[in-house]
Amino acid sequence: MDTIVIETKNLIRAFGKGVTEKNAVDGITFDVRKGEIFGVLGPNGAGKTTTIRMMCGLLMPTSGDVKVLDIDVSDPKSSKRLKQKINMVSGGERGLYYRLSGRQNLHYFADLYGIPKGEQKAIVSEVLDLVKMTDAADKKVEEYSRGMKQRIHIARALLNRPEIIFLDEPTIGLDPEISLQIRKIIKELSEKGTTIILTTHYMTEAEELCDRMILLKKGKIVGYGTVNELRDKVADDTMIRIVTTKDPSALSEKALQTEGVMDMRINVIPGRFETNIRVHKDFSHLDRIDSMFEQFEIRSIGYDEPTLEDTYLYLTGGE
Amino acid sequence: MMNPRWRTPTCILQAVNEVNIKAVTASFRKQAIEFLADPQWIIPSIVAPFIFTVVVLMMYPDRSGTVLLQAILGGGVLGMWGNTLFASGYSLSYDRVNGTLEPLLLSPTNMFDVIVGRSIWNTFIGIVNMVFIYIFAALAFNTEMTIADPLAFVLIMLVTLFSLSCVGLIFSVTFVFSRKSYILTGMFEYPLYVLSGAVIPITLLPEWTNPISMMLPPTWGVEALRASAIEGYSTVFGFGMWGNTLICILVSLVYALIARAVMSRIVREVQKTGSFAGY
Repeated sequence: MDTIVIETKNLIRAFGKGVTEKNAVDGITFDVRKGEIFGVLGPNGAGKTTTIRMMCGLLMPTSGDVKVLDIDVSDPKSSKRLKQKINMVSGGERGLYYRLSGRQNLHYFADLYGIPKGEQKAIVSEVLDLVKMTDAADKKVEEYSRGMKQRIHIARALLNRPEIIFLDEPTIGLDPEISLQIRKIIKELSEKGTTIILTTHYMTEAEELCDRMILLKKGKIVGYGTVNELRDKVADDTMIRIVTTKDPSALSEKALQTEGVMDMRINVIPGRFETNIRVHKDFSHLDRIDSMFEQFEIRSIGYDEPTLEDTYLYLTGGE
Repeated sequence: MMNPRWRTPTCILQAVNEVNIKAVTASFRKQAIEFLADPQWIIPSIVAPFIFTVVVLMMYPDRSGTVLLQAILGGGVLGMWGNTLFASGYSLSYDRVNGTLEPLLLSPTNMFDVIVGRSIWNTFIGIVNMVFIYIFAALAFNTEMTIADPLAFVLIMLVTLFSLSCVGLIFSVTFVFSRKSYILTGMFEYPLYVLSGAVIPITLLPEWTNPISMMLPPTWGVEALRASAIEGYSTVFGFGMWGNTLICILVSLVYALIARAVMSRIVREVQKTGSFAGY
């Protein structure tokens, strides 16, 4: 049986008081298994960050239970024990001491984690090597690019060799090449047995990395399971993907009136428009759709299986 | 039930025992590196006390030893005070803005130990201040200054610096709680400086302010410093030079214990409110 390392039950977190009180996380229940990469997905404001902050003890739940490695995160007496076993990467531009070098930042946090001096040099070198920052480790953080800062964030979070690591949007704002490197690091960590909790709103990233996931919408779980289990929610659907040179927005209403068409959304990509139409798998009117879109200069058209992104948009209502 | 007579010593011993020396040392080192790399600290640490000393010295045509000592003490304490508040207190405010408060709270180290390490560095810089002001006063105004009891002066100086750090700790903990704490610090910075007797002896202040002054540990330290530096000076309140020094240490320890207890509660409170993330 898979060991459960995180267990949440009816977790609620409210912010504000009186009439402004609002549940950022609203009664969520799920568990995370040892060694898996678990995704917490959702649009902005869905409650992803609030959820992981509660799991790592930074934020107390308003009600409900969170147990991480069998430790109740709300119990202040167990707080120190928990902190030694987990770590978190918030990422972004902030979170490091700018006037210190990357290496100095790491040694500082190594001291705060009580890592003996004799072991520190080796551990710092090891984590720097893992995130490919050995060469730039002695430069001041203020000279780093965003991607380099993010890699130091990850290195910092690995110092105490955590059993569970929480990654909050680790690739947000990074260029594709750096994102690829970060995803590679995440995979390597997972292969070494670290349990990883990852928040992201990049569906391709979640699809590539996550063993299981929850989809959040306005603080509630709207989807929970593996990628395939989530895709099963749209198993009776198929997608028509059309790429046009001109904007087909004017067609939305007409297309939705076509028998078998369930929803339609248009992604604007520089120089072209990608229309995704969700239809029933028995849909047989592609010719009608083709003729409707002809005037917008079709570059490609065809059926496709629903991706995780299609499922996500379906479950979150297109947010 | 615990015997009340033993409660305080046990509490102090437990607090001392729980201090994470490695975290304190690391925070001291980190503070030093950041301090030396950031020229803005020159203003509260060097420029402000320097100007104060110049103004006081220029006010008196007779710059004899006593006046010079008063000026140096006043300027020096102002420098130390500025360091303690500006650096110790605002350094946590910087953590909040910089996003480093979150990883600090995530680490198993008590935040109090982090602040203590930083405060010790700021205290050290306070000593540098005092020496700088002394050299400046002696060279620029061509005056001779003799300290009545140099050894006592150095020891009491260290105690006074410790007392200033302890007051700074109280301010520091509030910065964990709220980004608006600078209002509190700003409001008390100069009144506390005056009330501690650094500018003029507290006996020259309105009588109703004296109880407030007595509750501030530096008040006792500053008075003891005067007694150690000025030949024939007898303390105008308290229990003589060493008596006041002892009271300074005891009141400082009470401040430190309060800060430590308050810090634990504040950390719990920010975990409830989520205010660590605001900046």
